[in-house]
Amino acid sequence: MTSSQQANQNRVTLRRTIITLLVLVAALVIVVGGAALLGSERLPVSNSLCALTTLGTRQCGLTSDHFDILFQIRLPRILLAAAVGGSLATAGASYQALLRNPLAEPYLLGVSNGAAVGTMLALLFFGSLEWSRPLMAFAGALVATLAVYRLARGRVGATPERLILAGVIVTTFLSSIIVFVTTMMDATRIRSFTFWLLGDLSGANTGLLPVPIAVAVVGAIILTLNARSLNLLMLGERDAFDLGVEVGRVRMAVFLIASLLVGSSVAASGSVGYVGLVVPHLTRLSVGSDNRISIPSATLGGALFVIIADTIARTVIAPRELPVGAITALIGAPLFIYLLKRV
Amino acid sequence: MFFNSSRFIKSLSLLLIALLSVAACSRSSAILNNPSTNARRITDDAGREVFLPAKVDRVISLAPNLTEIVFAVGAGHSLVGDTTYCDYPVEAKNIEKVGDTQHPNLERIIALKPQVVLVSTASQLEVFTEQLRSHNIAVFITDPRDLEGVFRSIEQVGNIVGYVEQANALVSSLRARAMAVDSALKQSPRIRTFYQLSAEPLYTAGHDSFVTDLLRRAGADSVTANVPGAWPKYSAEAALAARPDAIILPTGGSMGEGNGTVAKALASSPAAKSGRVYKINDDHLVRPGPRAVDGLEEMARALHPEAFK
Amino acid sequence: MLEARNLTIKYGHRTAVDNVSLSLEPGVLTAVIGPNGAGKSTLLRSLNGSLIPNSGTILLNDKPLGKLSRRTVAKQITVVAQEAELRFPITVFEYVLGGRFVWANSTTWGWESERDLQVAEGVLEETELHELSGRMMNELSGGERQRAVLARALATEAPILLLDEPTANLDLSHQAALLGLVRERCNSRKSSALIITHDINLAAQFADVILLLRAGQVVKAGTTQQVLVPDLLREVFSVDVLVDAHPISGVPRVTPVH
Repeated sequence: MTSSQQANQNRVTLRRTIITLLVLVAALVIVVGGAALLGSERLPVSNSLCALTTLGTRQCGLTSDHFDILFQIRLPRILLAAAVGGSLATAGASYQALLRNPLAEPYLLGVSNGAAVGTMLALLFFGSLEWSRPLMAFAGALVATLAVYRLARGRVGATPERLILAGVIVTTFLSSIIVFVTTMMDATRIRSFTFWLLGDLSGANTGLLPVPIAVAVVGAIILTLNARSLNLLMLGERDAFDLGVEVGRVRMAVFLIASLLVGSSVAASGSVGYVGLVVPHLTRLSVGSDNRISIPSATLGGALFVIIADTIARTVIAPRELPVGAITALIGAPLFIYLLKRV
Repeated sequence: MFFNSSRFIKSLSLLLIALLSVAACSRSSAILNNPSTNARRITDDAGREVFLPAKVDRVISLAPNLTEIVFAVGAGHSLVGDTTYCDYPVEAKNIEKVGDTQHPNLERIIALKPQVVLVSTASQLEVFTEQLRSHNIAVFITDPRDLEGVFRSIEQVGNIVGYVEQANALVSSLRARAMAVDSALKQSPRIRTFYQLSAEPLYTAGHDSFVTDLLRRAGADSVTANVPGAWPKYSAEAALAARPDAIILPTGGSMGEGNGTVAKALASSPAAKSGRVYKINDDHLVRPGPRAVDGLEEMARALHPEAFK
Repeated sequence: MLEARNLTIKYGHRTAVDNVSLSLEPGVLTAVIGPNGAGKSTLLRSLNGSLIPNSGTILLNDKPLGKLSRRTVAKQITVVAQEAELRFPITVFEYVLGGRFVWANSTTWGWESERDLQVAEGVLEETELHELSGRMMNELSGGERQRAVLARALATEAPILLLDEPTANLDLSHQAALLGLVRERCNSRKSSALIITHDINLAAQFADVILLLRAGQVVKAGTTQQVLVPDLLREVFSVDVLVDAHPISGVPRVTPVH
């Protein structure tokens, strides 16, 4: 086989992408099922599986308490975990491609904290309007993104180093605002520290759940549709421009969609760290850097990662709970060190 | 070679010895000073020996419950400083504020020249004990884990501020009220109860919480009595599976109107379904002071109305 | 055809390009020479739309460049410039395939067609990178990467090529080969090319038209014989030169005299 035939074979095709995604979806279904069987209360396995596979239409011999635990508490929380994980990983993967920086991720770029401040303001001033939270989180995320981008743009353009620097400045500044507000505010009006800084999926509100799920799915689809442009952008904004990419338009689309993804996640569960950093890396290592396959794979990978982390968070010291961000950091940090050494 | 290393080392050692001696002298003088100028020695709840003058009339309280105790034994006029959270009795609000419970302002404490600072948990201590000690300000730690511990705190404070009789009288009357509750509930069955500190996220009272003792005395069987920790974050499904027959919502005091509704996980509990959800003033439940007995009575009456007809 | 009229481009107070006009006709290879800072790269960047001139017009096939969509422009004009730092692993083949983006069915999505693959293979052969196409770009030498950049530009099949010092890292044989490729495109497909180069003799060998630039202005534009004149070159480059005829090709040959 000649070198170019080999290259031809190894590149990403539609077929390869579909197969990879199907495998990941299957894994997701299995993990969702497994996670639904785990928790601080023991549920009978076969009854639960029966109820799960019939999507809650049949009681399958479960007591009403067990049924409620399964479908009112566990499943919404697992689905929220999937939505949050998928959103954050997709956002991270897109930032990394657009900004050509493997370290770009929602927390480091200040986007998570921008969303957190937005959610805080919504809780303070529009407490009863649940819709205000994801909306203002999105606004906060977008403002933070634009602030970082503006700050980072020198004469040479926003080099990856300047972006990270600007991101760290914005993130730490917003962190101190969050600390200030939580210290000053009455504990019952504002969520606890751990919610903001370490993430907390226990507030999975069945009513509002379709929002983060829809946002994750739609966001992942839109960003995947921009994958080919992002592939060229990974080679440099100038190169991408020369080759016909509408750089400004794609950049705006990524910023907007990623802000939406991060905003809806943070509004629902606070800031869950490391997902946007570690999952895209792992994905690229496994399936390659072509965004047509790596972005949707990151989405599914992120969902898997956070579901698993949250299952650990709510079972390891049951009946007490840990914040999910503590687990993602415990897994993510060593994993990231390992990844760094490989590269 | 200019640099005569052996001479350098000698002078450095001399300097070090000199510095250490000065430091040792000042430390030992601090230790020596206390017993000679301070006539009394009391052991606090952390096992520390605290040296106090015979007469104490300048006290700072760093916790709302301690402020309430000081006023309750009649020594309110000795209080020269308290925290921003200290709001009971009304006079406590007019006392000079030295910060909040977690971050007291050291300079202001020192400027007020108290003889003793009353502290509610040892965690605040490490921060400033040494500095206060060097200004001859004693720190007394109270750590009541249950109602008897509260009675002991009242006696300790009474002893410190010289109002021993009043403190004993107060403890007697409080103990009598607690025993009255106890005998009223002799025939009543214990009620499975969930103490909801906050709904979202779901926090409850654990094994080490002072409220757990109050719940037990109020005839409740707290479903989280054995959960490790004082205020654990609790699993929603465990709360649901616990099926409590009554729910206590601490609210309305310094917590404000928050925590007025039952958590989602408990919405279909027997407690919620039968309307046995009781709002109790949170200041009566979380402050280990005289009003804790109020809280005990309120919970007992709410849970066992028939025993108090 | 690409036509620029009275282009002026400023960076703050500094004028980089001063009232320059030129046109790139089909089949014509234009070389742009001049000392550093003469505004050559700036000029090139404005021709594909990456830089907006302060004044003047650029017409692509008689339409103003600013009014055309990015894709339309990218289908007509392609750039070969110094390659940017690569931060993600990519094979040579995939890199060259990037040039086919502009032919995708949608503006952002799509998978490569058979034709895309064929064109990519073709340009890899032309640039003698066929053997290396399975390797990672960062494993290649500087010169090989430069050829990959050219291959990618050729893969776009754009009729107008703008090249900014394309032979900078190439050895002798590949220098001639690269320019030969461009020359061949101009001849057989009637492409136009604009090449910025420091190698005056290489320019002389392959160019139909030479633009001599200094301080943003066109000092002389014309055939190699018209432009490669000792007085002009001395004026522009501040060095004495000897111009004679290449013994074999007859093309003017410039030698600096120290």
